[in-house]
Amino acid sequence: MDLNRPALPLQNKATKRKALAATAIAAALLLSACGGGAAPQGAEQAAAADPASGANASGAVNICGVKDASGIYKGTAEAFTKANGKVTAKYTEIGATTDEARTQIVQRLEGKSTECDLFVTDVIWTSEFASQGWLLDQTKLVEANKDRLIPSTVETTKYQDKYWGSPFFTNAGLIYYQKDKVAKPESWQQLYAEAAKAPGNGYVYQGKQYEGLTVNFLEMLYSAGGEVLNEQGDVTIDSKETRDVLTFMSDGLKNGSADRAVLTYNEDPARLAYESGDFGYQRNWPHVYRLLNATPLASSFAVAPLPAWEGGKASGVLGGWNLAISAHSTNQAGAVAFIDFATSPDWQKHVAMDYSQAPVNEAAYSDPAVLQKMPFATELLASVKGAKPRPISPVYPQISQAIYKNVYAVLSGTASTEEAVQKMAEEITTAKASF
Amino acid sequence: MAIKTIPASRGPAKTSGRDRAERKLAFRMTAPSLVIMALVAAVPIGYAIWLSLNQYSVRTAGLSRFVGLENYINALASQEWWAAFGQTFLFAGLSVSLELVLGTAMALLLNLAFKGRAVLRTVVLLPYAIITVVSAITWQTMFQPNMGLVTNVLSALGLPGGDVVWLGEHGYAMAVIVMADVWKTTPFAALIILAGLQVISAETYEAAELDGASKWQTFVNITLPLLRPAIVLAAIFRTMDALRVFDLPFVLTRGANGTESMSMLAYTQLRENRLVGEGSALSILTFLTVMVVSVIYVRFAGGNIRDVAKEEQ
Repeated sequence: MDLNRPALPLQNKATKRKALAATAIAAALLLSACGGGAAPQGAEQAAAADPASGANASGAVNICGVKDASGIYKGTAEAFTKANGKVTAKYTEIGATTDEARTQIVQRLEGKSTECDLFVTDVIWTSEFASQGWLLDQTKLVEANKDRLIPSTVETTKYQDKYWGSPFFTNAGLIYYQKDKVAKPESWQQLYAEAAKAPGNGYVYQGKQYEGLTVNFLEMLYSAGGEVLNEQGDVTIDSKETRDVLTFMSDGLKNGSADRAVLTYNEDPARLAYESGDFGYQRNWPHVYRLLNATPLASSFAVAPLPAWEGGKASGVLGGWNLAISAHSTNQAGAVAFIDFATSPDWQKHVAMDYSQAPVNEAAYSDPAVLQKMPFATELLASVKGAKPRPISPVYPQISQAIYKNVYAVLSGTASTEEAVQKMAEEITTAKASF
Repeated sequence: MAIKTIPASRGPAKTSGRDRAERKLAFRMTAPSLVIMALVAAVPIGYAIWLSLNQYSVRTAGLSRFVGLENYINALASQEWWAAFGQTFLFAGLSVSLELVLGTAMALLLNLAFKGRAVLRTVVLLPYAIITVVSAITWQTMFQPNMGLVTNVLSALGLPGGDVVWLGEHGYAMAVIVMADVWKTTPFAALIILAGLQVISAETYEAAELDGASKWQTFVNITLPLLRPAIVLAAIFRTMDALRVFDLPFVLTRGANGTESMSMLAYTQLRENRLVGEGSALSILTFLTVMVVSVIYVRFAGGNIRDVAKEEQ
């Protein structure tokens, strides 16, 4: 039996509404005790952002999000304040890690706090936040800016045919390889075969039991033509592709293509292991480029987009951060003005040049100034354009847990592929039912 | 240790006006602290219990539906809860017993009269002063495959274990978590046991020496029995802590390889999945488990704890 099982059989919508109404008063009373006070608020009731309002905005805009390690948020806020003149922007750090920032944002949104006008949101939070009626509908704004944004990045802000955020910077996995030892990866099969050839050719990735493993697994699954949910949102992970990829990954650990140590690696340990020079391939994010350049491997490594599954098309998984306007913002016009600035082709060049992040504006990737600072921009653009979002669902955290826990069980040898596939499908179905 | 109840007298007891006034005054004086106690302790716990009887749906933006004991039934019927329950007890059993043995040894050592004892006592406490998350990260780094200190030293010495992925396999991962806990909290156990040691009077030992008892006999027949209350006290503190363990497995393995603790399970449901009802039920179950274990301890060793208190007076 599963913990995520809903406590009662699912009711139809009408009875559910009634039950809701009945408990509404009690719940409102109860929740006011913890500052919750949330009323039922469907996504359809949320207001929309007016794209034209940015032009005559004034006042102050407070942007909230995770600790600003690269300085990109504060830098953008300062540059915006300078360029705009009428609106001042300020960045407030509300969490040291991604997880902590999410908790802090959820608390503010549940409590209808007006402290933050804009939230910097991880691409996987969109559906959850939008489904709660916490965000301003940005469909019109996105439509107005669409021609300058890379389509795959815009997709990460979509939930139920509306856009709930604007992409700010994006992220996609890359393969770093030792060009003197191994060949450029064309397919996953070729990469694994090459990695198994000699002891120093191995492949390192993020195989610890956490979100990163979900991403690593989905990158392979997507390129193999598999999926987690189909267009209608049905669970379709119980497939031949899932079995193939799981078997492929666990065989890779057994035959030495990938080092068993990846079972403990997230981004940084994988990078450090690779920097020791004992491996041929590494899957990691673009920020690693700058760090690798400061090591003895600087002259011997090259960057490639994620490979395809043999006979298929390469397809990665998108990361990155979006700008979402709080439904309780007191300066929505200012927030719109900030988004206009942050996503402008001109500022997107700075995103790459000053902060080594992946722009959401396609033209930026071929700009000579950007190419000089980011020579792998072409590979990065290929990865970003080919990448798909992670499963879109308000219960994404549970879906991701179902994926990484079961993939990990296969990789560490505690579950068979068949068991894991069935459990994964079952747990994702249960998770979806809990919404 | 049964408390004899005083038979109730028939009819209202005759009390003088002064008595009554004093009682009133006593009540008035303690009332504010009683209210504060209630607010501080009872309200959050009561609230958590109430939450655990409801089902919260992410869909309804925080609205709840009363479901009675459903959350508890689901939790108790789930594999996850019992796996976490078993692993948490395995962890507590291993780490607490090691901590008591090593703590006793450490206390005996610190009790010896030697130069620099005061400094050593402070130094020994250092691991306990380090924030658990920080020490967990240190341990994680040490046991990192390929570049960790431990794996490097083992490989350099040609010892087995150099190629073990410590945090990637059940037995090893649990061993590292236990070691990290033992390293961190043995000083705490030692400190409590040391306090117990210093209560034992020197005359007792002199008498034993006069009777010709060997060092070992003295330890087994005098030190250990007299130290028992202190050891039990340390055991209670440590067991309660160990059963609530969260940060060590969270940092070291994220609960992989069968190291998920009861608290981690509650955390995942509460914070990651925002399933407030389910998560609260798991927290209450964890709380009840810890409470039952401590009641058992106090019931079987409570008298000894009172002895310590008496002796220390």
